[in-house]
Amino acid sequence: MQHTFLLILRSTKHLNKPASRDPHSLHFTKDSPPVWISQMDSSILVGFRPGCFFSSSGSQDGEAKLTFIPQQILLNKDHELFEDGDIHRHLYLQNLSTCPAYDSPTARQCEFRCYISGCSQVFSTVEDYEHHYNTLHRHVCSSCQRSLPSARLLDIHIQEWHDSLFSILAERQDMYQCLVEGCGSKFRTRDQRKDHMIKIHKYPSDFMFDKVKRIKNIKIAKKNMLQKGTSMEVSMSVSEPEGVCEVLSDQPEEEEYMEINHSLEPGILDPPSNPINTVELSTDHDTAPILSVTIQPTTNQQRPQHNRERHSYRVPRTVCFGQGSVQGFRGHGRRI
Amino acid sequence: MWRLNAVRHKAGRQGSDLEEFKFKRREHEKELRRARKDSQLVSKRLLLNDDEEEDGTMDTLASDQVVELFNMVRHGRDLVKKEADLRALRKALRSPSAHLILIKQPNSIAILVTNLCGPNPQCRLEAARCLHELSHSPHSEVDSLRLRQATPYLITFLSGQSPKFTELCLYTLGNMCPDSENVRDMLLAQGIIPALNNCIQIHRTNLAVVEAVGFTLSQLISANYVTGTIIPAVLASGLIPRLLSVLTPDSQFGLGPVIECAWCLHYLACSNVDNGALVAQGTLLHCTSLLVTLGVAVAKGSIEEGIELLIWPLLRCVGNLLLSGPLGALQPQLNDSRLLAALCAFPQAFLQTHPALARESIWVLNNLTAAADSSVFCSALFYLNLVPALIQLLPFSHGINIMVLRVLGNIAHQGREYCLHLAQAGLLPALCATLKMADTEVVTFSLEVLGQLMASDPQLAEEFVRQSGLPMLEAIQYSNQETIRLRATHLLEHHLPPHCTVDTSASQ
Repeated sequence: MQHTFLLILRSTKHLNKPASRDPHSLHFTKDSPPVWISQMDSSILVGFRPGCFFSSSGSQDGEAKLTFIPQQILLNKDHELFEDGDIHRHLYLQNLSTCPAYDSPTARQCEFRCYISGCSQVFSTVEDYEHHYNTLHRHVCSSCQRSLPSARLLDIHIQEWHDSLFSILAERQDMYQCLVEGCGSKFRTRDQRKDHMIKIHKYPSDFMFDKVKRIKNIKIAKKNMLQKGTSMEVSMSVSEPEGVCEVLSDQPEEEEYMEINHSLEPGILDPPSNPINTVELSTDHDTAPILSVTIQPTTNQQRPQHNRERHSYRVPRTVCFGQGSVQGFRGHGRRI
Repeated sequence: MWRLNAVRHKAGRQGSDLEEFKFKRREHEKELRRARKDSQLVSKRLLLNDDEEEDGTMDTLASDQVVELFNMVRHGRDLVKKEADLRALRKALRSPSAHLILIKQPNSIAILVTNLCGPNPQCRLEAARCLHELSHSPHSEVDSLRLRQATPYLITFLSGQSPKFTELCLYTLGNMCPDSENVRDMLLAQGIIPALNNCIQIHRTNLAVVEAVGFTLSQLISANYVTGTIIPAVLASGLIPRLLSVLTPDSQFGLGPVIECAWCLHYLACSNVDNGALVAQGTLLHCTSLLVTLGVAVAKGSIEEGIELLIWPLLRCVGNLLLSGPLGALQPQLNDSRLLAALCAFPQAFLQTHPALARESIWVLNNLTAAADSSVFCSALFYLNLVPALIQLLPFSHGINIMVLRVLGNIAHQGREYCLHLAQAGLLPALCATLKMADTEVVTFSLEVLGQLMASDPQLAEEFVRQSGLPMLEAIQYSNQETIRLRATHLLEHHLPPHCTVDTSASQ
């Protein structure tokens, strides 16, 4: 099916060119658009211009097709692909080429970019990118756009925070699950669960049990090994200055947040006495506290491109770390 | 004569001199790039004489001294004295300010031409040197128009026997060629091409002269608007076989002559006037042979200094000549499959120093694998185990990975067996990485290649899923770039096994 399609595409691309070769017709400068010329069954792209090969193919019938076909490429002497070589030649002609450290352009490794619309962070290694993606864009709660470290914790989060039935049932039953996987215990209140986790599972008492504020510093997340199914859903509130977004938006943000979640018990908001050093906490356990992050929705309910317009310098609560960070990073342009 | 050693001597200065030199060179490079964008990239060469160094002491004479010298030349009768005067004048002309002074003198060029044709060989030589200095002048007033009186004589002397003299005439003419279309038409009418043909035949054992012929010809045919008359004339002249016979580098003499001839061949091929004729005369065969030789050397690690100056035009020539006919017809000219190995060796060797050369090497591979009858080359790539080396180039930007993806797409296009072989060579994990890259075009090509692979065999789709490629496609669906968004959706809908579709699937 694929091949048939490509064959069809090829045949429709044949132009009616006279058999005799007209030299002038084959001469294209670097500025003219690519032209297809049929020559003995192979397609030849003359005047090839990098970057222009794929047009937005949605226009034809709304459905994307794969349009690649093999093409031979003829390059005339002025083509931009030939620039570096020409410069090198002329430096040689002018006796300037040999030099101990010739500053020619060196091959760069490609950068990587997060494609989630509105995120568009760029990374120099795959690992950095994957870490970013796994931290911010997986297991996302569609209601509050928080990213959880695992599917199970996402389920628990949704259940506890976005399920109205849950709060009703919780009045009469033990609904709050222990966050440690495999434990299975349930409790009537958050505090009880918290106590359980401190006593039984030896979590520190100033551990962030419940989501309080947005994640601020992804560096800490890096150090806390993100392991599936073994962590708590936690919001870390950190006021580390470096690499942080939303530094500007501390107070008002929290209030907004609290207001929206006013239905929650006030006691659950458990700001740590020592907000910064979650790193220490993590080293005690294999089960590191996981930082839940608000991010942009990745469900298909939203058409991505419109979200870009929602930037403001004061990062609103629904804005993801990724999106806000584009605005709010101090100093650094892009790197985590 | 240009030897890369000679230039290295000059560049071998230490300390701040070096920094300054590098700075100047960088500035110069920027100028050249600007010039190229305006299609004004032109270079001239200045022959050094035996009795001076390039930056030797220039006796900048006062203007009246120059005038006086010239008058002595004009009126002198004693040939020995005239020779000395001419020599002094030539040395004075090393300073560009003297050029303007000289040309203001009435009949200055005519006088020089008289001496150029005069009875005394030494006077001829010095007169030729004077003209040569003028041809290299930075002043726009001293242009080819002014020097045009000399050209018929210079051209005539190309068929002469004196190598040194001929070399001077050649470089002088070569410096004049780029100036204007009128000059070139005039030179053409005066018979420069048959003269060059003659010259290279007579002096074929003198590599310095051969290099000069190559240079002059390259200046002639690399100018703008030459396809109408000049290039057809060159193709018809019988010069091609002579150029091709130069394509065996002489280890003693150096690369100079071969480099010049190779650039000539490149300019001829890319003009696309009559590439069939070029091929018929053996151009493709010779160029590919030389590329194979160079590829073998490069793969062994012996990368001679300046070798890239030779590889570059050969690659371009071969790349363009591959379009001159169906590959089946060109097959005998393509030497052997070691060409493929050479084309894969160059990127590895030059990736860090000259990435553009790596990219052009892959471009040639594209032209080899994109034709209707490319299956034999695609098969050969597997047989010679060259595909992993290509895949290793995928992380690199500068247009390299896009060109590699084209080649891989060409191979995948050949059919199911080829796709399976590509997967065996490790393409799927590599694509998982390229799908994450920042350059949209890279992602687009990656999706295309991926699509071909998955369409050819469902196993490959499953393998892709096993490689955790699925989240990437999902992520791309949320990009704001339509080209990749639509393609990712298309792949998810049509080519992935049903149980893999995720709840974030955008359509349906």
